Amino acid sequence: MKGILKKIADNRNYLVSLALSILAAFLIGALLMMVTGYNPAAGYSAMLKGAFGSSRVFGNTLAKMLTLCLTGLATAVGARAGLFNVGGEGQLYLGGMAATVVGIWLCGLSPVIVVPLAFAAAIIAGGFYAWVPAVLKVKLNVSEVITTIMLNSVAIYFCTWLCNGPLKSADKGISGATDAVPDNFVFGQVIARSNLSTAIFYSAVIAFLCWYIMEKTSIGLEMKVTGKNPRFAFFSGLKKDKIMIWAMVASGAICGLVGMFEVYGYQHRFLPTISNEFFFDGMLVAMIMNYSPLGIILMSFFFAVIDIGAGAMELSTGISHELSDIIFAIIIFLMAAEGGISRAFSARQLQKKARKKISMDAEKEVQKG
Amino acid sequence: MNQILEVFNMGLLQNTLRSATPVVLAAMGGLLTEHAGIMNIGMDGMILMGAFVAVAVSFTLSSAALGVVAAVAMGILVGLFFALFVVKLKSDEFIIGMALNTFAGALTVYLLRSIFGVKGTFSDKGIVGLPKIHLDFLDHIPFLGPLLNDNSMFVYVTWVLVFLTWLFLYRTPYGFWMRAAGEHPQSLETAGISPVRMKFLASVLCGIFCGFAGAHLSLGYLTMFTEGMSGDRGFIAFACVLFGMANPPKVFLAALLFGFLQALGLRLQSVGVPADLTSIIPYASTVLMMVYVVVSGNKKKKKG
Amino acid sequence: MRCAFFILRNEMREQKVQDTIIKFDHISMQFPGVLANDDVSLDIRKGEVFALVGENGAGKSTLMNILYGIHTPTSGEIYIKDRKLTRHEPGESIAAGIGMVHQHFMLVPSFTVAQNIVLSREPRKMGFFYDLKQAEKEAENLVAEYGLKVDPKATVGEISVGLQQRVEILKTLYRGAEILILDEPTAVLTPQETEELFAVIRRIVKEKNMTVIIITHKLYEVMAISDRVGVMRQGKLIGVEETKNVNERILASMMVGREVLLDQLEKTGTPGQVLIDVRDVHADDNRGLPAVNGVSLRVRAGEILGIAAIEGNGQSELLEVITGMRPLRSGEIHIAGQNASGKTPGEIRDMGLAHIPEDRIATGVSSQSSVKENLIIGKERRPEFAKKGIHLRQSSIARYASDLFTKYDLRGAGIETGAGSLSGGNMQKVVVAREFSFDTPILVIAQPTRGVDIGAMEFIHKQIIAKRNEGCAILLVSADLDEVLRLSDRVITLYEGRVTGQFEAGKIDKMEIGYYMTGNRKEEA
Repeated sequence: MKGILKKIADNRNYLVSLALSILAAFLIGALLMMVTGYNPAAGYSAMLKGAFGSSRVFGNTLAKMLTLCLTGLATAVGARAGLFNVGGEGQLYLGGMAATVVGIWLCGLSPVIVVPLAFAAAIIAGGFYAWVPAVLKVKLNVSEVITTIMLNSVAIYFCTWLCNGPLKSADKGISGATDAVPDNFVFGQVIARSNLSTAIFYSAVIAFLCWYIMEKTSIGLEMKVTGKNPRFAFFSGLKKDKIMIWAMVASGAICGLVGMFEVYGYQHRFLPTISNEFFFDGMLVAMIMNYSPLGIILMSFFFAVIDIGAGAMELSTGISHELSDIIFAIIIFLMAAEGGISRAFSARQLQKKARKKISMDAEKEVQKG
Repeated sequence: MNQILEVFNMGLLQNTLRSATPVVLAAMGGLLTEHAGIMNIGMDGMILMGAFVAVAVSFTLSSAALGVVAAVAMGILVGLFFALFVVKLKSDEFIIGMALNTFAGALTVYLLRSIFGVKGTFSDKGIVGLPKIHLDFLDHIPFLGPLLNDNSMFVYVTWVLVFLTWLFLYRTPYGFWMRAAGEHPQSLETAGISPVRMKFLASVLCGIFCGFAGAHLSLGYLTMFTEGMSGDRGFIAFACVLFGMANPPKVFLAALLFGFLQALGLRLQSVGVPADLTSIIPYASTVLMMVYVVVSGNKKKKKG
Repeated sequence: MRCAFFILRNEMREQKVQDTIIKFDHISMQFPGVLANDDVSLDIRKGEVFALVGENGAGKSTLMNILYGIHTPTSGEIYIKDRKLTRHEPGESIAAGIGMVHQHFMLVPSFTVAQNIVLSREPRKMGFFYDLKQAEKEAENLVAEYGLKVDPKATVGEISVGLQQRVEILKTLYRGAEILILDEPTAVLTPQETEELFAVIRRIVKEKNMTVIIITHKLYEVMAISDRVGVMRQGKLIGVEETKNVNERILASMMVGREVLLDQLEKTGTPGQVLIDVRDVHADDNRGLPAVNGVSLRVRAGEILGIAAIEGNGQSELLEVITGMRPLRSGEIHIAGQNASGKTPGEIRDMGLAHIPEDRIATGVSSQSSVKENLIIGKERRPEFAKKGIHLRQSSIARYASDLFTKYDLRGAGIETGAGSLSGGNMQKVVVAREFSFDTPILVIAQPTRGVDIGAMEFIHKQIIAKRNEGCAILLVSADLDEVLRLSDRVITLYEGRVTGQFEAGKIDKMEIGYYMTGNRKEEA
């Protein structure tokens, strides 16, 4: 507790500008609603109701938080070691698909064997799909930003093809999706009729591990130094390449697990729409919180409220749920601008102070003389 | 064998030109910012904004020309916005670029919904498309005639723009200043020219190019706006810039190669290959292209 | 008598006023945390060579950057030929006749010499297009007029540093400069090139009636070239003197505010076994061109081997190969008897080597990490700092960092401050503290005191000698010949990646070393 209070005190300026940015983003959002002919008060209250209105929707909000939190942490793990994993979406798809395939193929076996195997499959698929761009970056210096973005589309189309082709389900009323994972494999629900499954417990463990490794261990320190200055890390004798590649693989593995959680916790079969750019929302959370693990965990709840709330808002008021992404993007712009503005501001203040001091000194001189 | 022949026909080449054009346009913008020393991964959002504004204005004012003008105006605005953050406020290029893409994606969908009341796709007879250019004399030339005829006018405009971009960069003082601003900004600054201004100029020009690309995408052939219709072309354009080492003719060829691969995907669909698989081609080949650039670059280094 | 003296003084002052070409009027410059210029008033006369001297961080470069319009002064005015500067942009100063050759050259590497010379004032065709032919012609004319030989068609990135400096001077002349500011112009030059530069300066002052301001901290150069000299210390202008009225000792004491005599460094002990053994090493530079071409050298325990070379002659690459930072093309390297050829920096460190790199900002520190993190890195898995090598013991790390902080006399906010906010000297001390505290028998040291003030330099020199006397094998590279000669037991010269001579330190003077640094080969006896 003391540690948290200290952390808050240390980052006071950051938190104040974050609060102001969020407020401003909501005001801009309100303005946008007004301009497009909606009532902002109605919009925002529908949003709140949509996120907290019942235990069911609150469960959905928490489920959303898990996704955002894990994808955000995945981004942070890569970024901490200096690699921008923008390919979480593709890793999520492949991880989800791999876990689904394991579930379907081994349907006769005991869940005690199959579920761990599904975890392993998701981790391996997601991790491998991040390992490729990581190796390309580290060994050949191919920009991981572009490759991961391209690999997203490759994975999504590939999984869509599997859903429409080789793995297409023959179940009635299902088109363009795989068979369902047997009921004895899927996660139980924590809140009835909501999307919240026991994946929350696995997610909590993963989130804790991410935070612990990044903030409390020598590995975290080595990652941090590598990310800030890879040449320095190499010079200092750290295994820079290994650190970067493994950070990226871990990032991909987390995304792969998110894909599995979507299937085993909620959809119970693989659909091509398994994720609607979930990863990118998590990435935005990570960027806003400067890749700080604790910040991401806390902020993902707030984002989940807006995101789930926006979905409900669209249903009840007709305002497009994309408003949530608009608000997120504006927060980022404002936070990014804040750094620049406060730099310019403090430089000007310094100059003012200096001028004042000099003129005062000069006055003193005159008085003396 | 017949099937293979079926794939490689005139339509393939025509489609190559069509598919390549928006990428060429965006890539020309991207190579300017690249020369000015800005990593611009916000091009996808810039294209999307242009595409939306072009359709919106073309529909409301029933004029394709005004649609293009509006897309360009939007490009200038977005370019200024991008430069304000990246150049003036020195924010992280990566974060601003990604945020811009998210913002553009969300805003266009939001506005589509609230202005036109549709989700996903907006197509209407009221949207005026860009004219196709038909020159009678070309009809008499075999092969080239059908290839070069009946294209959207942007296809031709694009070729001119590639040449103009090269001319600007390598044959005008402003091009030299822009390159100096990217390569060694202090040298430009101490020579009395503000590198910040050149970076702004590059960013605004890039916005204009992306506006063109967007207008071509939404008004060129299909006259409609679809959610996320930029289809990562901004990123592919960025890859083409790297592939062509920011040299206009080379970047142009890289974009044509991309267009060819996309067109090939379309043709393969017509002979029964699933669309989901052919859609992978342009993205996967972009990755391979990036790898090729770096590997061949490394080899050259060793030889030189 | 007294009266006559007054008249004389008044006359002199009048003369001065007439001659003044630049007038600094109570200039002050405040940077975050530093008052870089503190109420400086100074007149520069037309047609003189004015030397501005002072330690690093004394404010010389800041003052000149203000004159050139790069910084806007916090207060005070500047007059050039009686016209006040108002906009404080380089364009304004250039128009007023100021030309500046910066310490780090302001040249675009991929442009040709001619294109760099005319940058921002390109000759045009049809108003809009660049007349590339005309640019070359104008560059050729300038080269002929001033006798500064350089090929206008050559690409700047591919010519030598000395030639690049000529391009810089031509650039200012093309802009019609009447006043030339040279910021540390000899730092990258050989003694021979320095002589050539001085000849050029004398010629343009005499024949073209130009005014030259030269910033330097090499006092013998002040004596050799200047008419008047101004001394700066801690942002203040301490005094302005006619050069003929002062000597190096007077200037040195003005610079540091006390009489300085660098302490004699006491070297003890005799060299032991060979700890660094480099055999016929070849390596490439960043562009993939051969940089080290068959270097062999040995360093024994308890001795310092200094490498003297002009920048860009393979010394940086050689050190990087030895420490594993750069791939080895061929040859063998043995560190403490173990084969270190082609090993990573981590593996080589494990053999008992620590390394102070030449570029502390890019390589030596992580400037966005705290001082504490910079001090601990490389030791973060030791049991005293991490439980089982994993869980960090924050308090013992903090204690360790604080101890080093005190021991190495670091001055700054504390161990939690970002390393990037430290001054150059303190940042270097962080690097020295970390590397020396590995207590390795072998040290590879590059540019130990570049950009460091005299006080910190003394401190670092003493630390290095102490390590030597403890029995460390030390390989040293420095661009500062005085430093190499002061610290080393033996010196080798490198030229174009080859060893051109080996000497016992103390048995050779600077001019002679310069002779071998420029490619003349010592006949092996």
